[in-house]
Amino acid sequence: MLKIFQRLWQVNWAEQWQYRANLIMYLLYWLVSPIIYLAVWTSIANAKGDVNGFTANDFTTYYMTLLIVDQITSNVVIHTFGYKIQDGSLSGELIRPIHPMLTNALVNNIAFKTLTIMGLIPAWIVLFFLFKPDFSHVALTGILLAIPAMIMGFFVGYLLSATITSLAFWTTRVYSIHEFYFALAVLFSGQFVPLTLMPRIVQEIAQYLPFQLLMYYPIQLILGKFSTDQIIQGYVMAGIWLVIAVVLFNRVWRNGVKRYSAVGA
Amino acid sequence: MHTFKLLSAFFKVNVQMALAYRADTIVNILLNLMWLGWELLSLNIIFSNTTTLGGWGLGELIALLGVFRLVNTMMIALIWPNTEKFNQSIRDGSMDYTILQPVNTMFLVTFSRITVWRIWDLVLAIVLIVIGINMSGDIVTPLQILTFILLATSGMIVIYSLWIVLIALTFWFTKFDNNVTILHALLDAGRYPATVYPAWLQVIVTFIIPIAVATTIPLQALRGALSLNQVVLYFFIGIISFLVASRVWKVGLKQYSSASS
Repeated sequence: MLKIFQRLWQVNWAEQWQYRANLIMYLLYWLVSPIIYLAVWTSIANAKGDVNGFTANDFTTYYMTLLIVDQITSNVVIHTFGYKIQDGSLSGELIRPIHPMLTNALVNNIAFKTLTIMGLIPAWIVLFFLFKPDFSHVALTGILLAIPAMIMGFFVGYLLSATITSLAFWTTRVYSIHEFYFALAVLFSGQFVPLTLMPRIVQEIAQYLPFQLLMYYPIQLILGKFSTDQIIQGYVMAGIWLVIAVVLFNRVWRNGVKRYSAVGA
Repeated sequence: MHTFKLLSAFFKVNVQMALAYRADTIVNILLNLMWLGWELLSLNIIFSNTTTLGGWGLGELIALLGVFRLVNTMMIALIWPNTEKFNQSIRDGSMDYTILQPVNTMFLVTFSRITVWRIWDLVLAIVLIVIGINMSGDIVTPLQILTFILLATSGMIVIYSLWIVLIALTFWFTKFDNNVTILHALLDAGRYPATVYPAWLQVIVTFIIPIAVATTIPLQALRGALSLNQVVLYFFIGIISFLVASRVWKVGLKQYSSASS
């Protein structure tokens, strides 16, 4: 099995490396909106001294951390896999004795991330000197605690996106469904603003949804903003959602493949 | 007259294409309303924590959202679909047929695809502008409305011209099908007044990828915050960028040597 992954990595890495210029352009999308929110919130914090206890530096460190965390936890499976179901090119992968979504597509996503992270690092350093965040309160324990959280967050997000992508077995409007999912993520993940500044009701709901596991939770872990109780609660939620995502994906995928009759066949 | 006939023909074809996918159109309108809801909620969250953002109040930001949506509608209804078609036609050589038509090529490349259902967004944008200005309590004179329309138009022309230059670069670098990414990525910066951004970002969104010229500036005109000199200046920037863009387009077109030859 390890050999298979090794081989898949070589193939997918070579493929992504071909498109490295494109990937650098994709980075731009990732960078712009956090920078805009950073600018908006630091300008408010600077004018008032703080926003509900958040100083300008708190916002700067939050969004600078978000840039990295988002890069690690996000995935692009809807864009790299959805069309395969629709145009029938999935057939070739289905006859292989390995799971298309959990091997090839997964490795492809990780190769994509590795390359974008390589592009992100220099951009991040430039932004570091432009915004001069003060990370002195970040402790090693926070980072160590966040690493498993980010990996779990990635898998939760990946499996949920893979589930939505698998809906392409039934409908051609899978991109619209994904856009709706994406909108929920914008609202509940803490991408726009740290969740504690959101309306009370949004915070209450966000606690129980998977979206914060991809951004808000690991970011605040790194920044050391959580009490022990909150850390435990977050990990419990991550565990629960991981189980839900695995079960959900398996069900949808199995039923989908049964329905699948390749285009042209 | 000829141009007008062509435009209405394009429009009809695109309406027919949209009608073939009615359900998709309805889903898209619902998604669009959902994003509007999110945009208003995000403004609400910002203004529950402050009373001004970069010197602007809530009403003014709602009006700015309206102006931003005007630009965004131009992008979604015209620019992105036509970019896709253009890049495709460079790759497979079907650009040849476009050039052979006895009509201005730039015109054809701009208007052959129209995302028709997006046009209702223009109404929504104007409603947002009117509500926003009302909420802000600014007194708006007819002259200010006039300068607003003038500068919003010229701002959109600036962005349109930048687009023409970016896609014209494809005539030189055939593989450059990332040509509009930078425009796409920076567009969101138009949602907030440029005065909020750090100096280097202000320079980018004003001079390099001039989103602010089409959003922040016209709104300032509507509030009467611009001097006569500034109004004249931004108006001429619109005209000049259009002239430069058509020039670049012409030179680029001469460079074009089909995909297969």
